[in-house]
Amino acid sequence: MTQTLAPPSPPRPTVRKVAEPPARRTRTFTRPLQYLALLGYMVFLGFPLLFLLSTSLKTPRELRSTDSSFLPEKLNWDNFGNAVEKANLAQAAGNSLYVAALTTVIVTVISLPAAYALARFRTKLRGVATVWILLSQVFPFILIVIPVFLVLKQVGLVNNPLGLVLVYTVWCLPFALWMLRGYVAAIPVDLEEAGAIDGAGRLRVLRSIVLPLLAPGLVATSLFTFISSWNEFFFALVLIQDPGLQTLPLTLARFFGAEGQVQLGQLAAASLLATIPSLVFFLIIQRRLTSGLMSGAVKG
Amino acid sequence: MKGKALLGIGAVAALVLSGCALNGGESSNEGESTSGPVTLTFQSLAYQDSTVAAVKDIVDTWNSDNPDIQIKLTQGTWDNVHDQLVTQFQGGTAPDIIHDESSDIMGFAEQGYLADIGKYLSADVKSAVSKDVWDTVTTADGKVIAAPTLLQTYVVFANTDAFTTAGVEVPSGKELSWDDFQGVAKQLTANGKFGVGWGLKQPTAAVMNTALGFDGTFFDTKDDGSATIHVGDNELAVPERIHAMAYDDKSLDPVSLTQSGTDVLPNFLGGKYAMYVGGNFLAQQITESAPTGFKWTVLPPLAGSAGATQAANPQTMSVSAQSKAPAQAAKFIDYFSSAENQAKLAQGDWLIPASKPARDAVAAETKSTPVWTPILASGEDLAGAPFQKAKNYPQWKDQFATPALQQYLANSISLDDLKKQLTDGWSSIG
Repeated sequence: MTQTLAPPSPPRPTVRKVAEPPARRTRTFTRPLQYLALLGYMVFLGFPLLFLLSTSLKTPRELRSTDSSFLPEKLNWDNFGNAVEKANLAQAAGNSLYVAALTTVIVTVISLPAAYALARFRTKLRGVATVWILLSQVFPFILIVIPVFLVLKQVGLVNNPLGLVLVYTVWCLPFALWMLRGYVAAIPVDLEEAGAIDGAGRLRVLRSIVLPLLAPGLVATSLFTFISSWNEFFFALVLIQDPGLQTLPLTLARFFGAEGQVQLGQLAAASLLATIPSLVFFLIIQRRLTSGLMSGAVKG
Repeated sequence: MKGKALLGIGAVAALVLSGCALNGGESSNEGESTSGPVTLTFQSLAYQDSTVAAVKDIVDTWNSDNPDIQIKLTQGTWDNVHDQLVTQFQGGTAPDIIHDESSDIMGFAEQGYLADIGKYLSADVKSAVSKDVWDTVTTADGKVIAAPTLLQTYVVFANTDAFTTAGVEVPSGKELSWDDFQGVAKQLTANGKFGVGWGLKQPTAAVMNTALGFDGTFFDTKDDGSATIHVGDNELAVPERIHAMAYDDKSLDPVSLTQSGTDVLPNFLGGKYAMYVGGNFLAQQITESAPTGFKWTVLPPLAGSAGATQAANPQTMSVSAQSKAPAQAAKFIDYFSSAENQAKLAQGDWLIPASKPARDAVAAETKSTPVWTPILASGEDLAGAPFQKAKNYPQWKDQFATPALQQYLANSISLDDLKKQLTDGWSSIG
């Protein structure tokens, strides 16, 4: 390896020397950059939350100062106390949780078999159903809100959380169905056929093969449905009048006044608290959000 | 499985299609009141914490004194009240007692959604408010569809230290003419600081309201709400002066013209602007946010060639025509409109009571806060403006007036272009 031991044949040692160290050197050089990029991305993603936290801890005077820093001068917890007291956040969070969780369960229960049917069964109705799903996404809220309001009023679901659950289910179902259909279609039919050849019935195939492979898809659609229902404002504004039934977005709107007035500190504090349940829900189910379950499942 | 999927899709279709097939609207109960105990819903839009508490106090006191007419208080928001009411009127679920403002409710009144409460209001409440303000809540056929409560005007806030530093005397007196205002602004402009900051991101309301000071009426409105537009020198006087201050005198920061009033406030508090024009309610934010030692006041009302007149757009209390107990609801509004209650609410929001006795009460209770004097004075010359009753005004405002004024104040179009866009815009919809 040294010049003393191998002076007559320079090409071979040269090749070794050139091939190995640069690769290691490249990795040593790029790895910190990769971590730096990752850190930058995390700061980018987390900045809104940090900004919300910083705003929630500032006094009104700091918030309207032209030379205030990102960090609050001192920790001012008054905004949290005032926000909780003024907006009755705990009750509103309970209402939002009830509506969002029930909607998520119903949408998942309906969209799972429906998505499987749309992906697997080739009938004439499939085309019609697909077009309908896409078409239903075209209608803007404002166009349908009055007819929906009248229908719900007739069946006694105005000023009732179940009315909101029904509306959110209808609103989220097409997209959830469309999303889940893609996940089902990505599962090779060969896997189901292999299960059938091994003697499993249709239900067993669905339970033991399809369902586990669909877990990431179910998590993604559940998240979409939960967050959509959790954040929805306009239907809740129109359908809910009883203060005791108001959801979080409605109570957060109380921090806005006429002509651009806003109680920024209290709004930031309330918004931060309102974000926590969504984060917890995401943390609980994100472990299921994995990919590559089907890598190598079928040959070729 | 396929059956379940189709059932789900069918449910969506049935719901939407059945909804589309229904017609809105319900018959009105106007004029008939049920007897016996009633519970009425009251949607308040109170925003400031102190005002929210004051409204709750008023309702609690009423409920304990009137066991047969119980009021259930709900909280709405200014940003969404219009959309909410549109849907609720269609579905027949509007609150019995509605808090809003006159420019928003006149459209609902035309469609018959608001009860005539003129016959239920007491003589005291009626006589406490000027005829000009009552006109803003009275329909062409003479129905009084609301009780006016609190009013907003555009006032000039001044950083008195900036005046002292520049050696300029703080204007006093009954009025401040636009000429003097421009002159003072020029004197206060130096070293990168401007004489004035004015948040005119949405300029139409400010221009229409203050134009009355130059006899700028814009419209001739008939009883049926149809109107013809006239944009002459009087109507253009205010935007022309603002433009001159921003681009000729350079005493008004043109950047502020693209911002909202709340956005401009930090620069006023930070000393960049010596004066700041905005709604008088901003006094509450100045009180709350001003740095220690910041000295400020409110200058006398801005006056044009026709005086310090501005358009009145009062907050209102109405009764839904769908209410089963309009007489009882109006009785509560009568109580709510008393001088004592209005004075309490006005101080929380830094707004001007429409009722003269309430203004007197505020003046008496705020002697230790001198800025209230010019704020209350600015409410003396409020008048009804023709644009408030022009049927297509909201559409003209959004589609033509606001973009045209924004372009003019950004120095993108000429005064003639502005006049043409305002006039042609009205012709295309009027």
